[in-house]
Amino acid sequence: MENQRNIILAVVLTALVLFGWEAGVGYFYPQAKTPTQTVAAGGAENATKPTKPTREGGLMDAADRTLEAKDLATELGAKGRVKIQAPGLSGSINLNGAIVDDLVINRHRETVEKNSGPVRIFSPYGTPAQQFTQLGWVGQGIETPDTNNPRVWTAPANAVLTPSTPVTLTWTNPTGQRFGITYSIDQNYMITAKQTVANTGGNAVSVKPFAIVNRTEKTASLDTWNVHSGPIGAYDGSVSFATNYKDVAEAGSINETGNTDWIGFTDVYWMSALIPSGAKATSTLRSMGNQIFRADVVYDQAIVQPRTAQSVTTKIFAGAKEHKVLDAYEAQGIANFGLAIDWGWFRWFEKPIFWLLTKLFSLVGNFGVAIILLTLIVRGMMFPVAQRQFASMAAMRAIQPKMKAIQERYKDDKQKQQQEIMALYKQEKVNPLAGCLPMFLQIPVFFALYKTLILAIEMRHQPFVLWIKDLSAPDPLHVLNLFGLLPFDPPSFLAIGVLALLLGVTMYLQFQLNPAQMDPAQQQVFKLMPWFMMFVMAPFASGLLVYWITSNLLTIAQQKFLYSRHPQLKAQAEKDAADKARSAARPK
Amino acid sequence: MKRIVAFLVSLPGLAIIGIARLWQLGPSAIMPPTCRYSPSCSQYAIIAVRRHGAIKGGLLALWRLLRCNPWGGHGHDPVPD
Repeated sequence: MENQRNIILAVVLTALVLFGWEAGVGYFYPQAKTPTQTVAAGGAENATKPTKPTREGGLMDAADRTLEAKDLATELGAKGRVKIQAPGLSGSINLNGAIVDDLVINRHRETVEKNSGPVRIFSPYGTPAQQFTQLGWVGQGIETPDTNNPRVWTAPANAVLTPSTPVTLTWTNPTGQRFGITYSIDQNYMITAKQTVANTGGNAVSVKPFAIVNRTEKTASLDTWNVHSGPIGAYDGSVSFATNYKDVAEAGSINETGNTDWIGFTDVYWMSALIPSGAKATSTLRSMGNQIFRADVVYDQAIVQPRTAQSVTTKIFAGAKEHKVLDAYEAQGIANFGLAIDWGWFRWFEKPIFWLLTKLFSLVGNFGVAIILLTLIVRGMMFPVAQRQFASMAAMRAIQPKMKAIQERYKDDKQKQQQEIMALYKQEKVNPLAGCLPMFLQIPVFFALYKTLILAIEMRHQPFVLWIKDLSAPDPLHVLNLFGLLPFDPPSFLAIGVLALLLGVTMYLQFQLNPAQMDPAQQQVFKLMPWFMMFVMAPFASGLLVYWITSNLLTIAQQKFLYSRHPQLKAQAEKDAADKARSAARPK
Repeated sequence: MKRIVAFLVSLPGLAIIGIARLWQLGPSAIMPPTCRYSPSCSQYAIIAVRRHGAIKGGLLALWRLLRCNPWGGHGHDPVPD
């Protein structure tokens, strides 16, 4: 009776988790289920209901994407642009306003296809994917270039911004103040902008230099509880992930307290940020309406005497959050810039695993193989534990008669039975259990891999073998539609990929090798668990499944090896299993 | 005010107990028994935090977890008074 109740409970719980999981995943890890490249190509339906953003970010609406392509062609085709050609970034500066509003990230592709275009991070004002930075001055009683009055700036003839050739743009107002912006660019994602006012007039003038980054929320990547995507900044040295687009939209504007180290907007993989250097600055996040947001950096008011000049320098980061690049900028003095990657509370163990993974990758050149090597290392470290466990189990055989006696004597009092067995173990100095620590140690590795696959751009679009072109996305092949041969997409809770199937099978085989359980309900749970995990793990990044499958295979190999070393245990296990089967078959 | 402070002080302990309970109800319920001790590590953590507070209780629980390996001890191991 007791056992039957347990079995029913197990089945009910399984069903509950299986379907509850669906809702849970949708709530907690919505990005996990959106394969990177399937962007819904719907029409009317998309227009009415806003599509959920992806981990990648970018325009989701089909109409927006068409419009973006058209707008880009007109905007970028127009005259009055200075070209940007650097290893990390390409694009142009709009002379109407001296705005950096056209940038693509050369090292990262839009999709897994090798020949797809580079990722666009900046797009001109008014385009659907608008994102740009602009510099200016607020003046008192004089004409200045500011956001309300964009001026047409002058560039030297045939100027091109490259790492070796900075470009200076100039504009002079009627009262004799000459404004200049010198843009320079490095090998990666940093543009340095030095803005200067030279006063050639007769009177002292007062100006307030500023810099802004402006972007639309439409291209934002998915913001989840464990990876932030939205406004970001460091104030007095501490990085703030707390502010969301929604918060800014509701508040209208948010003044960040403390001295601004850097401020801007981040996606899971990309970021645009302003870094005031060498001068104190305050900053504000603003909602401009229509899903447009702005981060302002404003410097202190400066009085510029006649025949003198005043200048401030702002660095503009626009690019991919590659950990090496960010750490290098941090080493150059940008406070906590490396933390722009949202590792979260557990970065102290996530980063070592990530480091190991990237080291392995640099050795073998394939992230899938690197993950397999990581599994080998972890299982290798756990091997002595299993070995010790087997030695213990061998020793257990000697005390088997005593065990049987205890089980017989206390068969109606589980608690007492457990205590007596424990006492026997202690007396005979054996214990077949591995303990909680070995299992506990493996959890951080798994979590670190999970998090790395979600947020590290180093893992983005990394192929493994055959059909797995992106380890950070779920398995694209579904078993139910015969790997894409049948023209339908299975409902998401049935979207079992090949990897998930392999996970279930390897886990089943692994459990087969485990010593038989005493408790029939437990036995039942063991039969169901692999197939249950198959559903649970299917929507996760394929890299995570590769890890788990490899781990199962290695465990099977380890058990086989250890059984071959302890033939008497193997015989015992087979006998136990046979006994179990017989007692199960016997009518109650 | 005092009650709010008392509540805030009790939060870390409640968090540890909550994690231990979730472990017992979730993974531990469906996995084979692993713990070498009695009471189990999770039960030990709950008792330790209740008896000694979050800091000392948490450290006791951590120490127990570290001992719960094939080279550590086993058997009856109650929370010290």
